[in-house]
Amino acid sequence: MIEEDAGVEVRVSGVPDHELQRDDLAGLHRRGDKPFGPGEQTYRLIAADTPTVDIVQSHTSLGFDRVAIMRDVNISFPIDRLRELVGRGVLGALAPYSYSFMGAQREVARIEGETGPEVGRRLREEGVDVALVTPT
Amino acid sequence: MLARALEAEGIATTSISMVREHTEKVKPPRALFVPFPFGHALGRPDDPALQHRVLAAALALLAEPAGPVLRDFPEDAGPGDQPPAPTQASAVAPADRIPGDAVAEAMEMLPHQVQWLAASGGRTAFGLAGVPITRMGDVVRFLQTFVDGGDADLPERPRELALPGFIRYCADDLKALYFQGRMAMKPTAGGDEITRWFWSETAVAQLLRRVRDRLDASDDPRWKAAAFGVAR
Repeated sequence: MIEEDAGVEVRVSGVPDHELQRDDLAGLHRRGDKPFGPGEQTYRLIAADTPTVDIVQSHTSLGFDRVAIMRDVNISFPIDRLRELVGRGVLGALAPYSYSFMGAQREVARIEGETGPEVGRRLREEGVDVALVTPT
Repeated sequence: MLARALEAEGIATTSISMVREHTEKVKPPRALFVPFPFGHALGRPDDPALQHRVLAAALALLAEPAGPVLRDFPEDAGPGDQPPAPTQASAVAPADRIPGDAVAEAMEMLPHQVQWLAASGGRTAFGLAGVPITRMGDVVRFLQTFVDGGDADLPERPRELALPGFIRYCADDLKALYFQGRMAMKPTAGGDEITRWFWSETAVAQLLRRVRDRLDASDDPRWKAAAFGVAR
């Protein structure tokens, strides 16, 4: 089971000469995407150039303080911080997409056997070297 | 678990952990345990310096072999003024005087939502149900009909979305309206203070308590799951 606070998977970018991808488990996605449903084991793509204000969360568990992410999405999905690290040359680049999964999973067989490896293959094809996995 | 799946495809991973016991059991290749409240994985909102320190510590683990490695965030940063886990409705008693008209109360939150949007640069958690914010009064009436045992629905509910899931989204949107409005009214308020204000002093929160009760009274596990997400 993924802990209650887990939720999204997003991709970020890379360490110096690496391409980095960020994954997290917080039910994040672009505004207008279909919201995550409880226990959903698929994922959403968030393009690296998605404006921060267009990233929303449909993992609305009462198990965590949502005021924090209402104020600042970087509290779970540190996209602005990673963009800053790329700007400083600390990271090489952000991968073209972040991959977001839903949190509070009780049953994870499909993530383990299908959607997780599928994201891994996509990352490899995109030339990603490193992934950061964050919860909410 | 997800990290292991990615490593199996040749992607090096580093993770942030908020539940040490869970991470010790799942054993991701590299994880940084952080001592922050749930909902605060990177430390504090609007604190880029702390967020960068957390990120640096997580990325530093990439120099380690895939152990599993579990390290503590190397900083004595506690949860601050927020509790480790959020306060729930069942722990907050309704105030002696609560507005009687939930529809009017919800509509009175709209100007505060406008203030919030101006202050946040357009960021909002509102919108999961797909009902325009100007129709929040109709959402409140819909939920009132539901708790009174009526055959309630709204035209915005997608066909593929069952009623309890839609009710959950409506409840989430009302919470977003109130929480963000409260942040606009009182910018220094933390999550716990706002949560306690909502469940104690607002008419909509008392309606959501009743929504939760009706959902939970069902034998259908989907209704019970929605109840668990509306109020506990």
